[in-house]
Amino acid sequence: MFLSLVAVGFVVATFDVRSSGDGASDVLREGTQSIFTPFQSGVDFVTRPVIGFVDGVSNLAGLRSENERLADRVRELEAQVQATGALAEQVAQLEAINGLAAPDQLTTVTARMNASGPSAFDNVRFIDKGASDGIVVGQAVVDEDGLVGRVDIVSANAARIRLITDPVVSVGVRVLSTNETGIVTGKGDGPLRLEMFRAKEAVYEGDRVITDGSRFPPGIAVGTVRKTADAEVGFVLRTEVDPAARLSKIDYVKVIVGWSPIDAGLGDDESTTTTTAPVTTTTEATTTTTGGG
Amino acid sequence: MSRSRVVISLVAVLIAIVIQTTVFAPGRIQPLGVAPALITLVVIAVAPQVESEYLLLIGFTAGVLMDLIGSGTLGLWAMTMTTVAYAAGRLKHRFPDGLVYIGGTVFVLTVASQLLFVLLGTLFGQGTISEPGVFWKILLPGVWNLLLAAPVFWVLGKAFRTRQSGWAV
Repeated sequence: MFLSLVAVGFVVATFDVRSSGDGASDVLREGTQSIFTPFQSGVDFVTRPVIGFVDGVSNLAGLRSENERLADRVRELEAQVQATGALAEQVAQLEAINGLAAPDQLTTVTARMNASGPSAFDNVRFIDKGASDGIVVGQAVVDEDGLVGRVDIVSANAARIRLITDPVVSVGVRVLSTNETGIVTGKGDGPLRLEMFRAKEAVYEGDRVITDGSRFPPGIAVGTVRKTADAEVGFVLRTEVDPAARLSKIDYVKVIVGWSPIDAGLGDDESTTTTTAPVTTTTEATTTTTGGG
Repeated sequence: MSRSRVVISLVAVLIAIVIQTTVFAPGRIQPLGVAPALITLVVIAVAPQVESEYLLLIGFTAGVLMDLIGSGTLGLWAMTMTTVAYAAGRLKHRFPDGLVYIGGTVFVLTVASQLLFVLLGTLFGQGTISEPGVFWKILLPGVWNLLLAAPVFWVLGKAFRTRQSGWAV
């Protein structure tokens, strides 16, 4: 019986690999998740305050330094906001001229993460909003820091997000300092892999990387370059990017429901190189949040 | 009696999955950034309570559910958990030897299951073995499961005994 069950598992795995992109496994996954969602939501509702309290107590020492770090960050961001105020106005005018939807006008749905995958090797999270809230497969998911991932599977009242750290997720990006484009791919955990095929300029540690609008809305913060890398003619520029979003601490996220990859056609003139993360107005009457990345 | 024990085991697996994906989710309880492998631990812990053939089916079911909720290729956890169940079924007769033997079995089987999953994932093109921190993702669940073994074995043992005496009445 052992060998039979292992053989069944092997056949299923082979079938799943070969039928990549087929909807059959997604239907099974969606059905399973629909069954588990109410229980996960219930357990999450009950345990979240307790875990939060325990976590808070155990991290009391770290909270002070975290608070100081955040206070510094707020001051830094306030300075940036003042400096970019005039620039934002110019961008808005350019967007109006070119008929683009301003990033901060994209419609989003606010959701809360209530479960994750069952093992350390899963790069998925589950949220408490689904098709009934307008969420469909492929939409971008962001938090206050930047891109979190994309919607992978949707049921009526829940959805699964595949994180940008997942090896099957690739994101078209633009390096702000050079304005050149590349592709960021997950490595399962930790930093992301950045590959730029026609780079003419080097990228430097700390350079910001944003979405280029090919697959996700343009201008969402993806991360910062981790290691300086030179461009060599005829070679691919390869380096690593630290994700902007704190993926291990995801709680609330926004699903961008008001943008489709078809809209990318409107954004091909690359006029949005100075935009910041389009975290946005929401469809929830009680929450209207803007943010940057 | 076997059927009722299988039902209890499956319920235990379902509860373990819910706890694993909520309480032990990233941002919640994950000491050193890696969670215990609670589902694996439960499959090992129910081993003394059910016959080996049923244990294989329980392990396979647990693996299929993990595959369906997870992001990897379908079937990988099914193969892994079936193997865990097989090994636990072969080793369970030594469980009465004492806590040290149980702890050792839990640690070794948990680490072996994580390693097997990584190898299978790599074989099926997921590149799992090249993930950053893969060594800790293999080792730490074994350590946490070792620490959780006593309470989990106790709770499950009590659940089986309670149910048994309840039906006897």
